[in-house]
Amino acid sequence: MTWDTKLIEKANEIIELYPQKRSALGPLLYLAQEKEGYIDDDSVVEISKLIGITEVQVRSVASFYTMYKQEPTGQYLLSVCKSISCEINNSRELINNIKEFTGLANNETDEDKTFTFEEVECIGACGGAPAVQVNYETVEGVTPTKALELCKYLKEEVPKVIVADELQEKFGGVKSFDWGIEDNSGTSSTAPGFQIIGTAEEK
Amino acid sequence: MKETLLLTKHMRENPEDSHLIDIYEKNNGYNAARKVLKENNPGEVIEEIKDSNIRGRGGAGFPTGVKWGFLAEDQERYLVINGDESEPGTFKDRILLERDPHQLIEGIIVTSFASNISKAFIYIRGEYAKPARRVQDAIEQAYEKGYLGKNIFDSGKNLDVVVHLGAGAYICGEETALLNSLEGRRGEPRLKPPYFPAVKGLYNKPTLVNNVETISSVPWIINNSGKDYAKLGVEGSTGTRIFSLSGHVNNPGNFEIEMGSSFGEFIDTFGKGIKENKSVKAYIPGGASAPWFKGSQLDIKMTIDDVADAKSMLGSGAVVVMDQDTNLVLAAKSIVSFFAHESCGQCTPCREGTTWLEMILDRIASGRGRTSDIDLLLDVCDNISPGLSWPPKMTTICPLGPSAVSPITSLMGSFRDEVESLLPKKVLINNE
Amino acid sequence: MSENIKFTVDGKELEGQSGELLIEACEKSGIHIPRFCWHKRLEPVGMCRMCLVEVETPRGKALVPSCTTEITEDLVVDTESEIVTKAQEGILEFLLINHPLDCPVCDKAGECPLQDQTMAYGPGESRFVEEKRHFEKPIPISEVILLDRERCILCARCTRFSDEISGDPLIEFIQRGNKTEVNTFPNEPFRSYFSGNTVQICPVGALTSTSYRFKARPWDLKKVSSTCNCCSVGCSIELNTSQNKMLRILGEDNEFTNQGWLSDKGRYNFDFLHSENRVLNILNKSEDSFNEISIAEATVKIKDKINELDNPNIKFLIGSHSTNEEYFVINEVANYLNKDKFLSRDSSNVYFSDDLLFNGYFDDEYSKAKLEDLDSSETIVVWCEDIKDNLPILYLRIKKAVKNGAKLIVFGHTNTAIAGLADFYFGKGIVSNKFDLIVNPSEIEDLKNNTQGKKVTVIAGKSTVFQKKESLDKLINYLNESSELKVFNSFSKGNTFGALQNIDEVKGLNEFCNEFDNDAKNIVFTVGVNPVNSSHFAQPIKEILISSDFVVSMDLFINETTELADLILPTTSLGEKEGTITNMEMRVMKQNKILPAPGSTLSEWEYLTAILNILGGDVQYRNENEINSFLVKEYKDQQQVATFDNLNKPSNLFGVINRKEININTKDLHEDTFSLLMVRRLYGDSSTQINSPSISMLGAERFIELNSETAKKFGIKSQFGNLVQGSNSILINIDINEFLPDGLVVAPINRRGFENVDPSKEFEITEAKNREELSVN
Repeated sequence: MTWDTKLIEKANEIIELYPQKRSALGPLLYLAQEKEGYIDDDSVVEISKLIGITEVQVRSVASFYTMYKQEPTGQYLLSVCKSISCEINNSRELINNIKEFTGLANNETDEDKTFTFEEVECIGACGGAPAVQVNYETVEGVTPTKALELCKYLKEEVPKVIVADELQEKFGGVKSFDWGIEDNSGTSSTAPGFQIIGTAEEK
Repeated sequence: MKETLLLTKHMRENPEDSHLIDIYEKNNGYNAARKVLKENNPGEVIEEIKDSNIRGRGGAGFPTGVKWGFLAEDQERYLVINGDESEPGTFKDRILLERDPHQLIEGIIVTSFASNISKAFIYIRGEYAKPARRVQDAIEQAYEKGYLGKNIFDSGKNLDVVVHLGAGAYICGEETALLNSLEGRRGEPRLKPPYFPAVKGLYNKPTLVNNVETISSVPWIINNSGKDYAKLGVEGSTGTRIFSLSGHVNNPGNFEIEMGSSFGEFIDTFGKGIKENKSVKAYIPGGASAPWFKGSQLDIKMTIDDVADAKSMLGSGAVVVMDQDTNLVLAAKSIVSFFAHESCGQCTPCREGTTWLEMILDRIASGRGRTSDIDLLLDVCDNISPGLSWPPKMTTICPLGPSAVSPITSLMGSFRDEVESLLPKKVLINNE
Repeated sequence: MSENIKFTVDGKELEGQSGELLIEACEKSGIHIPRFCWHKRLEPVGMCRMCLVEVETPRGKALVPSCTTEITEDLVVDTESEIVTKAQEGILEFLLINHPLDCPVCDKAGECPLQDQTMAYGPGESRFVEEKRHFEKPIPISEVILLDRERCILCARCTRFSDEISGDPLIEFIQRGNKTEVNTFPNEPFRSYFSGNTVQICPVGALTSTSYRFKARPWDLKKVSSTCNCCSVGCSIELNTSQNKMLRILGEDNEFTNQGWLSDKGRYNFDFLHSENRVLNILNKSEDSFNEISIAEATVKIKDKINELDNPNIKFLIGSHSTNEEYFVINEVANYLNKDKFLSRDSSNVYFSDDLLFNGYFDDEYSKAKLEDLDSSETIVVWCEDIKDNLPILYLRIKKAVKNGAKLIVFGHTNTAIAGLADFYFGKGIVSNKFDLIVNPSEIEDLKNNTQGKKVTVIAGKSTVFQKKESLDKLINYLNESSELKVFNSFSKGNTFGALQNIDEVKGLNEFCNEFDNDAKNIVFTVGVNPVNSSHFAQPIKEILISSDFVVSMDLFINETTELADLILPTTSLGEKEGTITNMEMRVMKQNKILPAPGSTLSEWEYLTAILNILGGDVQYRNENEINSFLVKEYKDQQQVATFDNLNKPSNLFGVINRKEININTKDLHEDTFSLLMVRRLYGDSSTQINSPSISMLGAERFIELNSETAKKFGIKSQFGNLVQGSNSILINIDINEFLPDGLVVAPINRRGFENVDPSKEFEITEAKNREELSVN
């Protein structure tokens, strides 16, 4: 789908933040990620026009970074960490449980577009290993059993906005550190929730 | 042994609202920035930082004051804060971003003043969406107060700060790769020379790239003094540092301490010992790139130089503890896989070598290894990092490739039996 | 300024220039360091790591890539130490673990740097037992190029070329790490005028040309150096043949001209040599069909015809593909027929087939430019026909100069393709839609500030046949007075400058049409030209040829022009004849022969001397070399004349600059109205291109360009439409180009369907509903 005026306006606002247009490429790709659930070819064309580089240059950059998805994603992107601290704290079992529940292998999306599952490298939650992100909202100290409950919750309750604090309270355990501040912000897409790209949402 | 709270003091004292500008200001916040902009000239600030002897907290440990002094003259200069914390085991920047964003912003204001910079970027890894939101909120609060934007603190100086979200690439923690990423390019490290950021950085302009923790330390140094800071810790590793402790400990977390105590003491005091009272088989002293120490080496002191003398590095300050029952082949494979996954692909040895190492380790771990695999592993490592020495020599542009070698040399150096036990026994045939 | 410095390599003391890269400095001293990604015309990236060497540093020996390390005084380098050799072997092993073993069927095998360096520096065997990386083999990424990603070693030569050199980055790295591949964007093929260069610089068989695929083994190729004649840049090339077939053309690195690069037209426009449509025997028209006759019969026929017509007007319509030697003989024959034999006329009778020919700036008051002057120019000013399409390698040189800091000033409206590169683009408001300079050049501040007292190179020529010379004069004379000016006359076609140098007086097509006397008896010789296909004068010329009493055409094909001839003399082409050509710098360069003349074809000079002889002239040239020895006498500089011997000296392999008197006699066109700007595109419907299968489709698209305001006036909203003029209607793609001024519509002159469009008459553009309508029709 091509971009409507509103989105192009947003894109131009982002471009304004940078001394050179091309710097806005990353945030603009997130706009596409939010809109389509992945970096579709039409968005690549739009972005290439907006910042004045070729389509393949946009694709080249987009495909370098793992958070810009090249295939459509489900409503919930489940990213389970398998790096060292999580690996030695039994992230394998957690991964197996999620795979079994969703029926998905690494980097797959289910047919009804509910879940996309991926095994990821370190997400900076080593003190709360094993850790999971749902749409880049971190949940720490997730046991294999809690992981199943998390999946069930997402499938059955279908929350619109994913908020780390809420998931942590329901399904998390040991944390990397005291989160302290109460927080209701999150995201409702597979792009990270962030004000500048307009993806930050309050529950 | 106890914590010395400089950077984490405010957040500890105000656990629920340390992120709000009013609370931060009530606790002496923004006074360092205000003072510097009113009373000092840039040279004085740089001197103060030099006096503190603070070394970069990103991993390489370069003296910060010296780095500031190197910045080339130009009309257009940039400050880029490296918040791409991705080294496995590390989560210290996350707490600073999430729980005390104003401390960082104040550090940015002082740093920008010292280096005559009017545009700063905070590059935060994309997976840190929540910390990035906090920082963005804090920036908006600071703009409202007139601490950012035009004529900040009525000083006549301007400063704009933009938070830029990464998108899943560990290599962007390497400063030149980060700059490429910020320019909307593939996060591939640049060649040094000629692309030293202080001379040819962002948009080929002189650029200061500093870690979140480093810049978050700046307000304390200004509020107190460089000399006071230098009194903390030990020579060569002054001040405090936030260590991230994870793995098989009872109490993982971030702990701010003066450098100089031993790892064993640190793990016991803050980690509250090993889960299920097990013993330590091995531990990583400074993030996944660092060579491992054995459980028998817990008396090594936590300073940049002591760790270097013991042939590893304090790196990003991430201590990962592995207990007696850890399958170290799988642990090593996890780390090698990490680097293979994160290799940018520019240099042949890293692109091809890390994946090959992963394949061989996978074979060994799953019982399909060959007796010749140990030699092969080591030789492939040698072709990435000639001589397998420490600090590593490299056949690559950046240290990512050699980082993948660390766990293997550690494994082979101290735990070779564990690998050999997975391989078929050598059969001696008498040919005569 | 760079200075001489001393450094040590493998114990030998060497000298080099400061700032020079170690790999290059070593190469100059005969020490070869293996490499894949490094290429001397591209920015170094230090990626493949093959060129690692050890240097001594204060902290001990360090491995550094020699392609990114500049030499410094007293640098000590080891290129053969144990650690270096081990590293090189290691790199090769890494490169080979995922490289397929399909060398037997790989075009590159035999001239493959990966093969060669594996032989020289690599491991003898593989320790890799896992599955290699797999990709679909090979995928077409354009009409002329195939990509085999399995073979790719990710050296980034192709991606850097397209980004840095040609400026059309349509091929890029996709994914990262071990999954990295080179690719294009879906539905956005690698459609670049310069794409073939990436095939040439690919160090493995990842990029291959469709035209060469599976055609030969490199060791079976016969090779000769020559000079491309596609445009007047005169790129140095290497012709590769096997079994008397031209199989490939490569660019040679001539520092002064093409620096290794070629346009795809120059590279791939050769299959026509072996086309079954080529005329291989002399054809004589009787009734409405052609029959084959011998050379003896043909010359007698010409002689008889001249005698029979009793003092006819004999005119020569010549093209740009002849050699200097051939032009020299044309001149002799023309002179003989007009002056010596009949003594009745003293005016010249040679007409050059280029719509944009005008008198040029050849007087001594204008300094002549060389291509290397672009490198040292502070400002480059362009006002001429589209450079990217007509002088593609000149475009690359301009792009390079701009990258190195030269200012570029472009006057509209034909060079919109380089407008993005320009510091200043002077379109509407400065240049009228009729190509008059509306503003006095001295009043254009940005022009003044960037040229006054500065080193300036101007590329000047008519942008359209309708342009008045006076408008160009205003600009050139202003620049000539106010700056250190060097001038390129932008005559773009092949060996135009050779024709101008070797023919006493050259006139244009306008003169040809005006001077034609319908009441007289007329004989016309056409030599390698097809104006009836793509010229503003196509229609009148066609009528002239039909009404002439006798038309002799020398050419390769039966085409729109030669089909009107009474006699077709089949000629030779690139690689089938020897001679010199003169490029736009007046650099004289050698064309060499590597193929036999096919069938009964002869070179133009052979026909012409035969004709001259039968008419009573007593010239006996036995070969090109003899002709050359006569023509060089008129070069101004007799110290360094462009004889074959001289040009074959190593010191002159790049050609020698030498000038002759140039006498062009043309007048501006009188028509004042024109509504359509017809421009020549790189690819079109020339007989050679449509008979070269690998590139024949590249000139097929029919399109017009206009700005959105003009589109609105025509009421066009879609991308497709019809160009309608009288009963003539052409289906077209409509491209919006905002650099064009309101009201100006641009159309290609050398595309099928446009030959009957009259740019001086009104036209309409109507919308086509969709692409289907476009393709169905």
